[in-house]
Amino acid sequence: MLIVDSELCIGCGVCEDNCAFGAIEVVDGCAVVSDACTLCGSCVDSCEVEALKIEGGEKSVQVDLDSWKGVWVYCEFRAGALAPVSLELLGAGRKLADARGVPLSAVLIGADTGESAEKLIGHGADTVYRIDNQALTYFTDESYGAVLTDLIKAHKPEIVLAGATAIGRSFIPGVANSLGAGLTADCTQLDIRADDGALLQTRPAFGGNIMATIVCPSSRPQMSTVRPKVMQALDFDEARQGEIVDVAPDPASLQTKVRVLESVISEQDNVNIQESDILVAGGRGLDSEKGFKLIRELAASMDGAVAASRAVVDAGWIGYPHQVGQTGKTVAPKLYIACGISGAIQHVAGMQSSETIVAINRDEDAPIFDVADFGIVGDMFEILPLLISKIEGKRGS
Amino acid sequence: MKIIVCIKQVPDAKDVRLDPETNTLAREGVQSIMNPYDQHALEEAVRLKEQLGGEVTVLSMGPPQAVDVLRQAISCGADHGVLVSDRAFAGADTWATSYTLAKAVHKIGDFDLILCGKQAIDGDTAQVGPGLAIQLDIPFVTCVQKVREASGTELVMERMMDDGYDVVAVSCPALLTVVKDLNEPRVPSLKGKMKAKKAEFKILSAEDIGADSSCIGLPGSPTQVVDVFPPPPRGERAILTGSIEEQIEQLVEKLAVYL
Repeated sequence: MLIVDSELCIGCGVCEDNCAFGAIEVVDGCAVVSDACTLCGSCVDSCEVEALKIEGGEKSVQVDLDSWKGVWVYCEFRAGALAPVSLELLGAGRKLADARGVPLSAVLIGADTGESAEKLIGHGADTVYRIDNQALTYFTDESYGAVLTDLIKAHKPEIVLAGATAIGRSFIPGVANSLGAGLTADCTQLDIRADDGALLQTRPAFGGNIMATIVCPSSRPQMSTVRPKVMQALDFDEARQGEIVDVAPDPASLQTKVRVLESVISEQDNVNIQESDILVAGGRGLDSEKGFKLIRELAASMDGAVAASRAVVDAGWIGYPHQVGQTGKTVAPKLYIACGISGAIQHVAGMQSSETIVAINRDEDAPIFDVADFGIVGDMFEILPLLISKIEGKRGS
Repeated sequence: MKIIVCIKQVPDAKDVRLDPETNTLAREGVQSIMNPYDQHALEEAVRLKEQLGGEVTVLSMGPPQAVDVLRQAISCGADHGVLVSDRAFAGADTWATSYTLAKAVHKIGDFDLILCGKQAIDGDTAQVGPGLAIQLDIPFVTCVQKVREASGTELVMERMMDDGYDVVAVSCPALLTVVKDLNEPRVPSLKGKMKAKKAEFKILSAEDIGADSSCIGLPGSPTQVVDVFPPPPRGERAILTGSIEEQIEQLVEKLAVYL
């Protein structure tokens, strides 16, 4: 609980200004804390007269934090292929492991994984724990969760990373919860704190309007999910040496209450927009489903994928897996071209981390231009066909 | 079928922005709403009740004013509402929140199904639903986009994956988290509004749910926020000039590295 010492408080209001959550107000010359307080501690640091402190018992610290060693990456394997984010995380994990002076291990769960383990070594893993079993052909939270939890308990890694994909965001929270471990979702930056080797996990909050850095001071492992396309994979090095450890799963782990009856790979627009380098997104400004075809053509001209605003998905011009924004997907491609999208905060929240943003809109006051690196004001039906032919010309030459 | 729906009161996204001068969340006139995903969870619960009979209890954790979302839920078809509220919950991360909700669910009693939104739009973690299921030791399915069949004892549904969807079956009791493709939430009826006006809600403290004080709020949270800062600025808005033809020419030049 945040305690205000009314003797020391001079009512200066510095804490009020420092509170990102609007939880402190100076009333009659003294700071008063409301229920909105999240105990983030910003005010405590800001108070020059030391009138604020957080009390109420630290969580009991695990006695053996130092016995947890090593960095692990859960490497997602589905329908015969590794998820690209797995390799990106090995790149990030390699840096963390080197900073800590510990080995980097990959965990590969699935069936018929083929040469995947060798690939993971070539991309940076020192050890691959491979659990290859026909009962793991289909992903279930229970079986994958039990297998990973058992491995973590047996080997005690200090850090566990996983991709913030549909699979990672589903079963990793269950694993962390059953281990009593701290888990930070959708991290965009990971560092090792110099003084104590703790993992600093930075993630966007409030739809990207604010960044928060999070630590797990008293428990291990420290767990993070990381968005695709944020970290950099290492180039494949055939000469890299590593060890592959085949692990037989506990038969009890393979008994699940949830049964997968069928796995349907979407035929139409079969692409995960979170894994695309180039996204062309269309909004209400395309006027009709016919107009939206221009978005598909522009995307095709530059080998990009198609994304959409909520309005377009609600109108049925394209499926929900393509929706970007607060109630859709969060993406961070190298290039995001927003066409006929006004740029409501709900949409911007899902794409503002993109490397380069281009906005094309007929309304020059549209908020999308506030986040755009390049903007063109004008008529979509004049601009897009010209742009497509220019790009095709450029790529053709 | 006894269904519990977990709902959260969140700031309306369109009102939340960081004041570039003071580096804090601008909070003038920020409205509180029911988390959008939770509205779809509630709608599905009410539909299942209409189809199979039973009752729907909405459960929220938050400050006292969070009864507003419970009231809204009653107007949309929920039967009962429970709020867990205590200053001791402040600073709870997703682990401590899952623990607290699990304790509250035990207090509510028997259930066949728990429905949650995929995630809350203020935290975006998607961790509390699975965490709650683990604490209750029941199976869970995340990102449900369609319920194909439901009986009192088993559900068959589609769960959204990155490359399509999986069709899965689960026996009750179970927990589902839902996405917005699932259904179209109803608007409150006049009768519902009248019922909501008169509704009274149980407010449970940490002591009422028998929570261990070392497992709730900040002390019970394995993760702790050590720094909060604004995202790096994106720079000035740069609208190209010249004729449309010239602008497109410039744009294609600028984007050359991506082509």
